[in-house]
Amino acid sequence: MMASDMMEGQYRPGAKPMTPPFSPVLLLGLALKPLRPALLQPLFDAMLRVVRRQHPDILERLEAYGDRVVCIDPIDLPFAILLEPNPAEPRLTVRRFVDADEVHATIRGPLETLIALAEGKVDGDALFFSRQLVIEGDTEVVVALRNAIDGAGIDLIADLTSALGPFANPARRLADAALEAAHSVRSGIETLRQSLIAPAVQGAASRDARIAELEAEVKALRKASRRGHA
Amino acid sequence: MTELVRPELVCPAGTPAALKSAVEAGADCVYVGFRDETNARNFPGLNFSRKELEEGIALAHDHGAKVLVAINTFPRAGRPDLWHQAVADSARLKADAVILADIGLLAHAAHHHPDLRLHLSVQAAASNPDSIRFYAERFGVKRVVLPRVLTVQEIATVNAAIAPVETEVFVFGGLCVMAEGRCALSSYATGQSPNMNGVCSPASHVRYEERAGGITSQLAGFTINKFGEGEPAGYPTLCKGRFIANGKTSYLFEEPTSLNTLAMLPELIKAGITAFKIEGRQRGRAYVAAVVQAFRQGVDAVMAGRPMPDIDLDRITEGGRQTTGAYERTWR
Repeated sequence: MMASDMMEGQYRPGAKPMTPPFSPVLLLGLALKPLRPALLQPLFDAMLRVVRRQHPDILERLEAYGDRVVCIDPIDLPFAILLEPNPAEPRLTVRRFVDADEVHATIRGPLETLIALAEGKVDGDALFFSRQLVIEGDTEVVVALRNAIDGAGIDLIADLTSALGPFANPARRLADAALEAAHSVRSGIETLRQSLIAPAVQGAASRDARIAELEAEVKALRKASRRGHA
Repeated sequence: MTELVRPELVCPAGTPAALKSAVEAGADCVYVGFRDETNARNFPGLNFSRKELEEGIALAHDHGAKVLVAINTFPRAGRPDLWHQAVADSARLKADAVILADIGLLAHAAHHHPDLRLHLSVQAAASNPDSIRFYAERFGVKRVVLPRVLTVQEIATVNAAIAPVETEVFVFGGLCVMAEGRCALSSYATGQSPNMNGVCSPASHVRYEERAGGITSQLAGFTINKFGEGEPAGYPTLCKGRFIANGKTSYLFEEPTSLNTLAMLPELIKAGITAFKIEGRQRGRAYVAAVVQAFRQGVDAVMAGRPMPDIDLDRITEGGRQTTGAYERTWR
């Protein structure tokens, strides 16, 4: 099949792409763009092994949906992940291109939102209500997946580092340090973002003020016109 | 002056992790359901196996909290076994009460499990003293979950008339505008209902389409709403659909909104209600933790005579909007 028939990450004919937030993940995504997704596959294989071992109840809850394929699409990364929750042989596959016909459902959102959802730190319905998460296709398997993952009590860092045996504690400390560094980078990026959009924000504010003035003027003119007709 | 009675906080849990979150956030009771059509939240991937319930009850009891099991759908004619088994397993696993709606099931539970505490589900729609007395006298029902149609004053009047039967009222979460347990809108569109199958607008019949200009929600092929760019969305239920009538597009039954009575807790506590119920077994544990913490703080503040805390729950409400529903009856 030609690549033009497929979607890369979030892009799909007819669908309106979500705009990713300006964040460290977006920059990381741009940096990862030249990388072949196959190079990341071992990481996802390891992640699946750990999740299977630590949270067998996830696949148990998804038993009725083992034949469905769910595309998890982090909009700020240049690849998507296909989940096949077959209890006997689950698969998590990283892909650059995804054929819309090969998936039953798609969950789309910024990576950090998807991770927070997986860890139960945010409520899936609330994300949907506020339009921070897009779901398409088979809603039933998406709801089942959301409930199964939320019910498992996943802590990604703890789960992944615990698989390292005697290296679990140092790995945990390393992960905490990395998260702290990411937090610091995020703060810097937010300053950069504010600085970049400041002229636009200022322009919009003055346009808003001008529109309000004009609206008041129109209102006054209409009132005067009505009086004139009376 | 009448002494205030501390109400129990009855909190939802769709999974063991949510049960843990509820208990840790200060729930007095947690209500749950089995992973089948015996309860009104029979959603994909949700609810408890027998083993999970056993572990959940042990965890809750260790924290001094109770566990109530909702078996609140109406058994299929001639095939009540699944419901009878759910009641028997709840009794065996030492659940603190079962929440039932069906008269036949209440009779069965009262006869076969006389020591099991019975609560009447909101699905039974018992909203006046005569109806409540019937359930209390015939089946020994100890508590009634009131439908969301009464004002605070009406609840206080009902309470005075039915004592010692306890009342439980919803204080937060999704709203049903229809007569509880009798709504047929979901059945009309999908063939499945919360009353018989435990699902309102089942996910298997829901589709969302994201297009330029907004998102469209469909239920069993019927387009029931379209949300514009950035407009907060709601559940895909027919009662919250937007329809064209007399040339005008509007929410004919109800807008997407969540009940929130946090600011009314002092009045509700004065009305002598035994238990405050938070809706949302289908919601994630982040919702459970946030809402339970908020109401724990609210109830504790009222009981201690402190000012009510100002807690913003906007981010987790349906459609980004809140209402005090029938309690104040300020709507049209």
